[in-house]
Amino acid sequence: MDLFGDYTLRLVAFGSAVLGATSGALGSFAYLRRQSLLGDAVSHAALPGIAIAFLLTGSKAPLVLMVGAGLAGWIGTLVVRAVVGRSRVPYDSALGIVLSVFFGVGLVLLTFIQKQPNAAQAGLDSFLFGQAASLLRQDVVTMTVLAAAALMILGLLWKEFKLLSFDPDFASSLGFPVQRLDGLLTLLLVVAIVIGLQTVGVVLMSAMIVAPAAAARQWSRRLLPMVLLAASIGIFSGVAGSVMSSIVPRLPTGPTIVLVLSAVVVGSLMLAPRRGLVWRFLRLGRLLRAPDLDPVLMHLYALSLQHASDPEHGHKIAVLRTMSPSGADVGTALEGLADRGLAQQTGDGLWAPTPIGRREAERVLDREAES
Amino acid sequence: MRLRRILILAVVAAVSACGDHVTAPEENGGLRVVATTTIVGDLVRTIGGPEVQLEVLMGPGVDPHLYKASAGDVRRMSSAEAIFFNGLHLEGKMTEVMERMGERGVTTVAVGECLPAEELITSAAFSGLHDPHVWFDVGLWARATHCVADALAELVPAHADAIRNRAQAYRDELTAFDGWVHERVGDLEPEQRVLVTAHDAFSYFGRAYGFEVYGLLGVSTASEAGTSDVKKLAHFIAERRVPAIFVETSVPPRYVQALKEAVEARGFAVEIGGTLFSDSLGDQGAPAGTYVGTVRANVETIVTALSETQ
Amino acid sequence: MQDAGSGWALEVEDLTVAYADQPVLWDVDLQVPAGVKMAIIGPNGAGKSTLVKAAMGLVRPVAGEVRIFGRPRESARGQIAYVPQRATLSWDFPTDVLDVVTMGTYGRLGWFHRSGAVQRQLAEAALEQVGMTAFLRRPIAELSGGQQQRVLLGRALVQDAPINILDEPFQGVDAPTERAIIGVLDGLAEEGKTIIVVHHDLQTVPEYFDSVLLLNVRAIDSGPVSEVFTEENLRLTFGGRVGVLETREIEV
Ligand SMILES: Nc1ncnc2c1ncn2[C@@H]1O[C@H](COP(=O)(O)OP(=O)(O)OP(=O)(O)O)[C@@H](O)[C@H]1O
Ligand SMILES: [Mg+2]
Ligand SMILES: [Zn+2]
Repeated sequence: MDLFGDYTLRLVAFGSAVLGATSGALGSFAYLRRQSLLGDAVSHAALPGIAIAFLLTGSKAPLVLMVGAGLAGWIGTLVVRAVVGRSRVPYDSALGIVLSVFFGVGLVLLTFIQKQPNAAQAGLDSFLFGQAASLLRQDVVTMTVLAAAALMILGLLWKEFKLLSFDPDFASSLGFPVQRLDGLLTLLLVVAIVIGLQTVGVVLMSAMIVAPAAAARQWSRRLLPMVLLAASIGIFSGVAGSVMSSIVPRLPTGPTIVLVLSAVVVGSLMLAPRRGLVWRFLRLGRLLRAPDLDPVLMHLYALSLQHASDPEHGHKIAVLRTMSPSGADVGTALEGLADRGLAQQTGDGLWAPTPIGRREAERVLDREAES
Repeated sequence: MRLRRILILAVVAAVSACGDHVTAPEENGGLRVVATTTIVGDLVRTIGGPEVQLEVLMGPGVDPHLYKASAGDVRRMSSAEAIFFNGLHLEGKMTEVMERMGERGVTTVAVGECLPAEELITSAAFSGLHDPHVWFDVGLWARATHCVADALAELVPAHADAIRNRAQAYRDELTAFDGWVHERVGDLEPEQRVLVTAHDAFSYFGRAYGFEVYGLLGVSTASEAGTSDVKKLAHFIAERRVPAIFVETSVPPRYVQALKEAVEARGFAVEIGGTLFSDSLGDQGAPAGTYVGTVRANVETIVTALSETQ
Repeated sequence: MQDAGSGWALEVEDLTVAYADQPVLWDVDLQVPAGVKMAIIGPNGAGKSTLVKAAMGLVRPVAGEVRIFGRPRESARGQIAYVPQRATLSWDFPTDVLDVVTMGTYGRLGWFHRSGAVQRQLAEAALEQVGMTAFLRRPIAELSGGQQQRVLLGRALVQDAPINILDEPFQGVDAPTERAIIGVLDGLAEEGKTIIVVHHDLQTVPEYFDSVLLLNVRAIDSGPVSEVFTEENLRLTFGGRVGVLETREIEV
C-alpha cells in the first residue's frame, strides 16, 4: 500500500473522510426529519456568503470565506423559517425559493467580483465544485476541528436530537426547548456543509448530506447503527474518491466522491435486506410459490377463535404442523405471513394472527362461503 | 427542479441589470474599440495610438479562462466598432458572445489566430486545440502586430499610415526586447531552466527560451487538478531538486502552496519563487503595466529564483 | 408532586387558539377534577387535538391560561404524559419498541444523561403492562396499528405522570387492543391519576369514562357523563348528525 504513503493523497483522503463522516452523521438527521432539501438550500445559500465575505474583507483566507458561507447558510434557514411562519408558503417551496434566490445572487456576485483585481487569486469559482487537490494542511486542520466540535455536540445531545427528530411534540411535552434544539441541529448541518465547500463545492454538497443517509437507512433498523453506517459510507466514499482521483490524471476529486456515493446508494436501494428491490423481488417470488400460506393462516385463525378473549394468544408451531399436510413448510409459510403483516410471533416459537390476518382469514371464509 | 432553474435565472437577470463598472473609456473621439485582456489591450493601444478609444473588459489579475461576459460587457461590445480578443479559446466562456457580435456586424479580431498555424503549439490536454498563451514568446507576439495594424488601418483608413508606422516601430522594439530576454535567460544553465507554475501558460515561453515547463492545472484554469497531478508534479520537483516554483497573478495561489507542501513532505524544501503575471498584465501605471514591463518582470522573477542553487 | 391546591388537575380559562387568523378554539373554559376519566368529544376539526396541544404548551394560544394543579403550565413540568395522535408520527423512523418506550424516561433523565439499566427496567415494566413484551426489539416500522398504539401508551406509562392525555388512542385499533388500553387506563385511574382522552366513539363514552367535555370550537358543556352527555348537548355539538343516538339509548 504505497498509495497512502503519498502526502497529497493522505491529506485529501483524510479531509474527505472528515467531510464524509460529518455529513453522513448530520445528514442522517436531516434525512429522517424529511429535510433533505434543507441541505441543498443551505449549501446553495452559502455561495453569496462566500462572495460577500470576499467583497467585505478582500481576504482569500479559507477561514474567512467559510465563516461567510456559514453565516449565509444560517441566514438562509432563518429566512425559510420566517417565510413558513408568516405566510402560507409550504416548507418545501420556501426552501426552493431561498435556494434559488440566494444561489442566483451568489452567481451574480461572482460575475461582478471577477472584475476585482485579486478575485482570481481568491478562486471563488472553485467553491462551485470544490478543489480537493488544493487542500492545504491548515485547511484540513480547520475542517477537523469543526467536524470534531460538531460531532461532539451531536454525541452529547444524542437523546435530545433523537427525540426531536422522532417526535418533536413529545419532546416539547417533556419540557425540552424544541425550537432551540432544532436551531442547534440546523446549525450543525450548516457546519457540516461548510466543511465540504472546499472539497466538494456548493453544488454537489447536498448529495453528501442526503446520499449516505439514504443508503444507510436501507440497511439499518435503529438510529445509532444508521448514523454510524452513514458516517462510514461518507468516509468510504471520501477516501475511495480521493484514491481514484489520485490514480487517474485530471480526475476531479469532489465529483468522483459523489459518484462513488451514488454507486453506494444505488447498490443499497437494490440489495438491502427487507427494503431493497432485489430482496422484495425475491420475496415476492417466494410468496407466489407458497401455496401453503393460506392454509396456515386459516389454521392460525381457527386456533385464535378458541381464545376469543385474547386473540393474540400464541400457538406452538408444532400444533400448526400437526394441522398441516405432512411435508408442508410451515416455518417458511409463517415467515411469509409475517412479512405480509398477517401473522406475528408472540413469543419463542409461538404464533398468532394479527388483526389484519384475522380480517383476511374472515374475507377468505366469506369468499368460500359465496362460491 | 425546472422552477428552481427559472427562479435562479430570473434573479441573475434582475441583479445583474443593476450596473457594474469597468475601466472608464478613454474619451478621445477615436475608433471605439473593446479588448478582452490587458495583453491584447496593450497591443491595440500601442498600435492604435490616438486613433482608438479603448476599453478593456478584464482588468489586471482577472482570469480570462473563467471570465463570463456581464450584461454591461455585452452592451459595451455591441456598441463598439471593433473587438480585439486573443482567441484560441483563451476566453473560454465568451466564444459564443464573440460569434454573436460578429453576426451583428461588429468587426472581431482574434489576435492569436492571425499567427501562422505552424507556429502554434497543440496541446493534447486541451482537447487537441492550440495553446492560446502565445504572447509569452516575444518574437511570436511581435508578429501579431501586423494583424492588429491591418484591422485598424482598414477601420480608420485616414490614419492608416500612422498606424502602420507605429506597428513597425513596436515590432522593432519587441524584436530588440526578445534579444534581451534571450540574454537574461542565458544567466541560467540549460539544466536550471525548469519552470513550474500554477497552470500551463508558459509553453510558448518555454519553447522560445529553452525551458521545460510544467503547469498544475493544465492549459485552462477551468480544468480541475486531480490529486494525481499534484502527486506527480511534486515527485518530479523533489527528484529534480527544482529550487523554486511560481504562483500566478490570475490563479489562486493555493494550488502552488499545496504543491509546495507535497514537495516538502518528500523531504525537499522548494521555495515559492515569486508571482508571475500569467494571463494579464500588472496594474496600469506600475512598471509591469505594459506588455514589455510584464515580460521583463516575469523573466527577472524566474531567473532570480531559479539561479539560487541549493 | 401532586398538591391538592384547588382540587383541579387541569384548568383552562378563556382559551382562544387560531391558526393564521382562523379561530380553532374560542373562549374555552374547562375544569378537570383530579382523578377523573374524561372524554373529549366533538366532530372532526372541532379543535380537540388543538385543545390538548394548548394544554401541553405545544401551540401558542391567542389568549387564555392553562393551570395544572393550580400552578401556571410553565412551572408544572413533568405533570402530564402525552400520547399524540398515532397518525402524526413518522413510523418509518429507525428505532425499536424498547427505545420508544424508554423515551418516556428522558424528561426525568435530564440533559446529556444516557438511559441505563434503571430506565430499561421501567420501560420493560411498561411494556409488560401493555402486552408488548414479545416485541422489545421489533422496529416500529414493522408494527401493526394496535401495536403502535400500545407502544405509545407504554411510553406514557413510563412517565408516571399524574395527568395522562391521550389523543384518539382507539383510532384504527381492534376490539382486543381497545379493551387492553381501557384496562391500562382503569389501572391508572385506580392509582388516582387523571385521564383525559380525545375520543370519537359516542357509544362507548358512558362505559369508559366518568366525565366528558363536548367541544366544537367552543366548549359546549363539561362535567360528569350522567349530567352532561345528553341528547340536547350532543345535538349542539354535532349539529343534526348524531346517528347513534337514534338507534341506541343512552343508559347511565
Ligand atoms: N397546524 C395547523 N395549521 C393550520 N390549521 C390547523 C393546523 N392544525 C389544525 N388546524 C385546523 O384547526 C382545526 C382544528 O384541528 P384539530 O386537529 O384540533 O381538530 P380535531 O378536533 O382534533 O379533529 P380530528 O377529529 O379530525 O382529529 C381544523 O380545522 C384544522 O384544519
Ligand atoms: Mg385530532
Ligand atoms: Zn491561461
